[in-house]
Amino acid sequence: MAAAAARILIVEDTPTQAEVARALLRDLGHEIRLAESGAAALDLALSWHPDAILMDLELPDFSGFEAMRRLRSQGVEAAIIVVTAHGSVNHAVEAMREGAVDFIVKPYAKARLKVTLQNALEKRALATELREVKAQLSRDHYLGFIGASPAMQAVYRTIESVAASKANVFITGESGTGKELAAEAVHRASPRRSRPFLALNCAAIPRDLLESEIFGHVKGAFTGATENRPGAAKLADGGTLFLDEIGEMPLEMQVKLLRFVQTGSFQPVGASRPEKVDVRIVSATNRDPWLEVEAGRFREDLYYRLYVVPVEMPPLRDRGADVLLIARHFLAAFAREEGKHFRGFAREAEQALAAYSWPGNVRQLQNVVRNIVVLHAGARVERSMLPPMLLRSATRPAAASLPAAEREEPETLAEPPAPAPEWAWVPPPEPAVAAPAAPWLPPAGPDPFLPLAEVEKRYILAALDHTSHDVPRAAAMLGVNPSTIYRKLQSWRAEETSARP
Amino acid sequence: MSAIDPEIAGQLASDLPREDFVRIVRTFEDDLGRLARLLESAVAAGDEDGYRRAAHSLAGAAAAVGARRLEQVARIAMDHRNTTDPRLLAPQVRLEAEAALAELAALAEHPPGSR
Repeated sequence: MAAAAARILIVEDTPTQAEVARALLRDLGHEIRLAESGAAALDLALSWHPDAILMDLELPDFSGFEAMRRLRSQGVEAAIIVVTAHGSVNHAVEAMREGAVDFIVKPYAKARLKVTLQNALEKRALATELREVKAQLSRDHYLGFIGASPAMQAVYRTIESVAASKANVFITGESGTGKELAAEAVHRASPRRSRPFLALNCAAIPRDLLESEIFGHVKGAFTGATENRPGAAKLADGGTLFLDEIGEMPLEMQVKLLRFVQTGSFQPVGASRPEKVDVRIVSATNRDPWLEVEAGRFREDLYYRLYVVPVEMPPLRDRGADVLLIARHFLAAFAREEGKHFRGFAREAEQALAAYSWPGNVRQLQNVVRNIVVLHAGARVERSMLPPMLLRSATRPAAASLPAAEREEPETLAEPPAPAPEWAWVPPPEPAVAAPAAPWLPPAGPDPFLPLAEVEKRYILAALDHTSHDVPRAAAMLGVNPSTIYRKLQSWRAEETSARP
Repeated sequence: MSAIDPEIAGQLASDLPREDFVRIVRTFEDDLGRLARLLESAVAAGDEDGYRRAAHSLAGAAAAVGARRLEQVARIAMDHRNTTDPRLLAPQVRLEAEAALAELAALAEHPPGSR
């Protein structure tokens, strides 16, 4: 900083003194502007953003002290060096109380000015750095994340550190902790941000299609391949390829992925020549990847290739006050979306939110808040609007404050907790719904024709089951608004309640 | 006693390229002409504030180039406790300004050392 050219504003109304300062500073390689009054100094400081200001105390419009007060009150952070005549060192001391970093006595030689300026610029650089570090340590949002907890600060720092490199990133964490958001953040913070970000969920793609989805295929490669189709690897060229649920990738596909990770080249299905691309791979799983290696479900060589920079997404129960930050964020967003007037949570409601253990993490919190916004009205979310499950657990201390042995949730990521035990409505056991292998088909059986309302109910429940009770995703799959599903759940719950003896 | 402090003016001359030093001397010359006129007209008009302001600026300009004698006279003029008649000090300021300018011009012509 000190060695580089800096922007220096000279505030001086005597031309000879200004010329001496200008000549000396120019000879030191700095960029210089001159203000001949306090008002001109304010204007220039605000528009030109100098690194340092050489301030004379006797100005034609107001004193240098007043100029400094005004500069500081306007948020000018330049290092101010007071220039004082013989016998006015007391003035200089007073000026330093007003925020000057140093003073220099007239007349001064180039060497003295150089050292004084260098020290002032270094002090300013350190102060700026300190402020930035402090700001980083207390960030409450970052590239789409909401959260100020130490656990999230660590995530932000890791993402920032790794973003500039091409190193592969491996994200772990329970369902609903924001693994895809983390992958997007890595991409957005990287120099690849202007290139594509492609996300593939390895668990959602039939194993026969996975290779084609990643590497593409040529016309005639298999039945139904009526034309050449590029895969995600090609489409993400220059950018980032996010492979979610990578633990679900079949072993034979892992071999092909390994080759791609090692060489950067791949062969589309049915093609005779390999293609080369420049892709950064970010992978994610909600399992412990090393346990998957030990169990023989994940190749060790691929593990080492992908697990270069691990990012562990903390569960919501370990994020302290982030629960309320996120809840308020969702409340504002959903209220806007739904045309409601909610402004915040009642204290008792906040206590209940904070005390709950959130096994479904941020996604569950999102669903809860949306449910409240859709089904209720008012300026504040009251405790009575919360789903019963939260109220039951609110009598217990927050899971995050309990010793590990007392927690309901498992400590490792090897066995993720069960999906959110859906807050609003727990569907009664129904054989047709309990067949997740084919959730989209009408139930097979002797009587395939059911009332339309029943079919609708089963489809919605099956979609919820398939998405681990992620209402927005289920709604997207069914082509309806999430509010529709919430209302249906509400009416079914009411039916259930009234049907009970 | 020389009109200029050789240490200050000489340091400036050796710190800077000659053209920069010459520019400073010319600026000083302009300042002196303007400020001496201001000082003299303030004396003539009996404007004590204007007299002291001009003297203050003269002292600052003189100090910047090491014109010590001129600076001393200007500081006497700007001092509220000083009882010397301004009409006596004004010609002295003019005299010292001319002496300082002459020595500075010589220094600009033959700067110490070489750059």
